[in-house]
Amino acid sequence: MLKQHEHPCEKDCFQKIRVENAVGLTLGHDITEVRPGEYKGPSFRKGYKVQEGDLCHLMRLGKRHLYVLDLNENQVHEDEAVIELANALAGPGVTFEARPREGKIQLIAAYDGLLKVQVDPLTEFNLIPDVMCASIHNNTPVKKGHRLAGTRAIPLVIERDILDQAVSLATTSFPVFAVKAFNTVSARLIITGNEIYEGLIEDRFEAIIARKLAAYGSTLAETVILPDDQNQISSTVRQFLEMGTDLIVTTGGMSVDPDDVTRLGIRGAGVDRVHYGAAVLPGAMFLLAYKGDTPIVGIPACGLYHPTTIFDLILPRLLAGEQPNARDMAHLAHGGLCLDCETCRYPACSFGKS
Amino acid sequence: MQDFETLLKGSAKAHGHLCPGQVVGVRMAMLGCELIELDNPRQLPQIKKIIVYVEIDRCATDAIAYVTGVKLGRRSLKFIDNGIMAATFVNLETDQAFRIRSTEKSRELAAEYAPEIKDKHLQQLEAYKRMPTNFLFKIQTVDVKILIHNMPGPTRFKATCQNCDTVVRDKKEVYQNGKILCRSCAFGAYYRLLEEKNDVNIKLQKTVSHKPLIRETPC
Repeated sequence: MLKQHEHPCEKDCFQKIRVENAVGLTLGHDITEVRPGEYKGPSFRKGYKVQEGDLCHLMRLGKRHLYVLDLNENQVHEDEAVIELANALAGPGVTFEARPREGKIQLIAAYDGLLKVQVDPLTEFNLIPDVMCASIHNNTPVKKGHRLAGTRAIPLVIERDILDQAVSLATTSFPVFAVKAFNTVSARLIITGNEIYEGLIEDRFEAIIARKLAAYGSTLAETVILPDDQNQISSTVRQFLEMGTDLIVTTGGMSVDPDDVTRLGIRGAGVDRVHYGAAVLPGAMFLLAYKGDTPIVGIPACGLYHPTTIFDLILPRLLAGEQPNARDMAHLAHGGLCLDCETCRYPACSFGKS
Repeated sequence: MQDFETLLKGSAKAHGHLCPGQVVGVRMAMLGCELIELDNPRQLPQIKKIIVYVEIDRCATDAIAYVTGVKLGRRSLKFIDNGIMAATFVNLETDQAFRIRSTEKSRELAAEYAPEIKDKHLQQLEAYKRMPTNFLFKIQTVDVKILIHNMPGPTRFKATCQNCDTVVRDKKEVYQNGKILCRSCAFGAYYRLLEEKNDVNIKLQKTVSHKPLIRETPC
């Protein structure tokens, strides 16, 4: 069947032609075959070049006339066009379906990792008439095989120069889509709090952190429990740094009470950069510091209560080898409000999407 | 397609021995081809229309490859390391795809179908020839999303590892810590390097010249 709304450049592309005259011409539509109880599906696909040997088959299917595409050299069929678009958009870690379905191609994650989308070039791409690409959000952790984006040429036939313009834009901004593989790290955890250190309450942070690391293939090498003592916290952070730890995580002691000294302890360990406070709820009192390339994160107590916090937004980026800075942290503001749903559906929600 | 006995004989020869796995594999492949409506998949034009995903690397796999003509080098044979005696047959032209799994029940039923044979191995071999298809196999209609980098045909994608300079084909590179890497550099290799052998003179065997080998069809 033809599309209901033909694009201007499609007007002269279709020709109704007798089957016996169609050899060597390109089908403008799928031809479905139905064999009761046995098979239903396309026997000939849109874009297929009719062969002499197909004539009997087509006539058996009741076809006496066909719509064939008669494209001039400046016109490209949507199925060919979308392959070029997908090829230009898909960077490392991104693959796509071999064959368009209904004119669309889905971009797919080739392995687990962090999706990177260049949003501005993607917007520019979509300003070009007759092409489109829609994606999931930048910085989304993805699994191998996950759908990342879908693209298509909007009309059935697209002008070659428009297609070239879109391909050129995507190629110039390459990669518009990429998946950064996660590093598998061995982390060390410092749990702070007099109440835990003195055995008044049982720690629950260790299991949470271990589970969140394990989700990305990383592990917890060591956990220590310390009192709210700035010097002990500093010396333990330094010791972990000297041991070559990939990632240091601290929990608790991030608030403004006199006993909350963990952030002071991290500063006292001689770190290079500290970002304290983040535009995310829950997680406003989150701390992110670096000593060389080693990140040190300070998770406030909200990490115990809320299933998803800023830690879930920052951890995949750290594991992907990124070092979020102050601007990155501020950029989390748009989408940084967790709605505290009764059942947490993260990452299938607006939290952390900006 | 040739008849079962002829295919079994050829398959056993190609594999190196006749075994129950050959019988299962030949029958599975014949059934798979029938389901996706290819009667001559070893030759043009059908050779370009078939992809088979095998889920185990055991005897039956060789039989499936023999009957269907699929090959790793043609990219028409895909190995999914699931340890399951199953294969999925895909017709690239029509998108028809069927997964066929060998049943465990068929092992228990072998004695019923070849009671006169006492040797378990020979009993299975004969029983699998006689057993009805629905006892031997479970069949599923499936949809297989074949990605562009897994398709047969010329190499479409190449990247160079920024760590070891090796060229990586077919989108198997990994983007890690801002670098394009081969999988060995990114995730570790399946081997442990002992020594580079770049400076060793390799004695080449004298080759005997025969008629030039010509590929039946372009890859």
